[in-house]
Amino acid sequence: MLELRINGFGGQGSVTLAHLLAQAALENGEQGQALPFFGVERRGAPVRAAVRMSPTTIHAHSQCELPDYVVVMSEKLIEEAVSEGITATGTVIINAPHAVAVGKHPTWQVDAEAIAREAGLFSADGLFINIPLFGAVCRVLNIPQKVMEQTILNKWPGSNGELNLGAARRAYNTVTQVEDSGFNMKVGCW
Amino acid sequence: MKAAQVTMETGAHAAALAVKSARVDVVPGYPITPQTSIMEAVAEMVENGELHARFIPVEGEHSAMAAAVAASAAGARVFTATSANGLLYMHEVLHMASGGRLPVVMCNVNRGIFAPWTLWADHQDSMAQRDTGWIQYHCSSNQEVFNTILQAFRVAEQINIPVMVNFDGFTISHCLMPLTVPPQEEIDRFLPPHEPEWRLDPAHPSSFSNVTNAPEYAPFRQMLSDDIMAAIPLVKQAAQEYKDITGMWDGDTIDTYRLEDAEVVAFAVNSMAAELRLSVDILREQGIKAGLLRPRLYLPFPAEDIINALPQNAQVMVLDRNYNFGHPGGILAAELKSVLFGRRNDITVKNRVMGIGGIDLTRRFMADEIRAMMDD
Repeated sequence: MLELRINGFGGQGSVTLAHLLAQAALENGEQGQALPFFGVERRGAPVRAAVRMSPTTIHAHSQCELPDYVVVMSEKLIEEAVSEGITATGTVIINAPHAVAVGKHPTWQVDAEAIAREAGLFSADGLFINIPLFGAVCRVLNIPQKVMEQTILNKWPGSNGELNLGAARRAYNTVTQVEDSGFNMKVGCW
Repeated sequence: MKAAQVTMETGAHAAALAVKSARVDVVPGYPITPQTSIMEAVAEMVENGELHARFIPVEGEHSAMAAAVAASAAGARVFTATSANGLLYMHEVLHMASGGRLPVVMCNVNRGIFAPWTLWADHQDSMAQRDTGWIQYHCSSNQEVFNTILQAFRVAEQINIPVMVNFDGFTISHCLMPLTVPPQEEIDRFLPPHEPEWRLDPAHPSSFSNVTNAPEYAPFRQMLSDDIMAAIPLVKQAAQEYKDITGMWDGDTIDTYRLEDAEVVAFAVNSMAAELRLSVDILREQGIKAGLLRPRLYLPFPAEDIINALPQNAQVMVLDRNYNFGHPGGILAAELKSVLFGRRNDITVKNRVMGIGGIDLTRRFMADEIRAMMDD
């Protein structure tokens, strides 16, 4: 069973991102689960969501305390997200405009904001960065591009789907693994 | 024959789809977190014509259950849903439904109760309704919620007793999982249209639930008590026939995992009992012969099935997500001890309360708790 946690801010679309990933698991012939943590939501407050994928029935119903993957929707949350829990060899996927590495964790970076802006994915709060992040996470999880695209088209048939598809595809193909850049977990800076 | 459809649904939406599949006639509804998503989905289905039912928006839960009672007495198949303080506000009318022998089915999406306010799950709300004369299921997955609502209608209408289908707020109600919806013809075969023996009908006026003298009142109450106990074989039959038709099985009165040779048995309900399967695997890896017994039916409490299922000399670790105020520990432990007394003196029962107000119950935490309880 693969476990993944999304750390973001309220309004960034982490619930939809979790739903898309769970739906992609089903589209990929596996079982999927999206379990967002619903608190007393406020825009801008830190939020999290759990995602699980497994070839067999998923019985877990807790938040992912020790996930294999952590998706960080904002650079500002890196330290908080990682210190909340990740396996020793867990992978981190970060939305950032530049390369960021997190200690010894394999780290991937994607500029979801720039991709969303270029694709014209404007939301009431800014940008739909969850769409490119979905593409990027699928790539890191080795979910076939076709499965990723079908998941988007299932959810948004029509022109919205096409718009989202372009952004997700771009992220799928530009997310890159980062060399160790020496992020210091203890002090939370480079 | 059409194949079953698998889609990704939240637990709340799974409940709404079951309401649609059951071809419910009347749905009175009042919103309360985390149940609201069920009523929103059902209202939408009624609005867009997917479900041919009357949706009655009311001004509170007491009225929601009053409307459910009236519609059921008029012969309709009735569903409603609530949570926490909404359920408590219904308390008086819950007795009206059971005493009136009305087969209403209600989802209670478990949430801790006020005060202080909490939005998240524990089981104080449903277990506080123990003595209302309702049958109570507790479900541990989205699929089980769907399956159980259909089984609940069948049992309720066979025996004229209302049924409460409980599941955890957020960890089930807002959790997106694959859901298999069997073809409608299979569901129709399992759950035929509701044909009450009696109904309120303006064309044939009659009185209902009038004042009774003790010689009439007492037999009514005795009958209710006897019939609730008689629900156990019907619950088993419903689970078995549902399996024969759809191929799906969640257990009948109880559900077990790695129980046969277990020396340490985890005993819990709802979503924590699903997670406990993973705790059992962890404990097994550590060399502890662990197993799980999950009562799917909380009321009537499946005493005989529990007594027969527990391995010899087992230590039973009851993990209660509620308080039994006035006693140490929780309600499930007290129920279990009462049925084991004098019947299974080889069994040791230990108990801890956890997960109150939605505190996250992880597989590792519960495995650690169970290991620690071995030394209690």
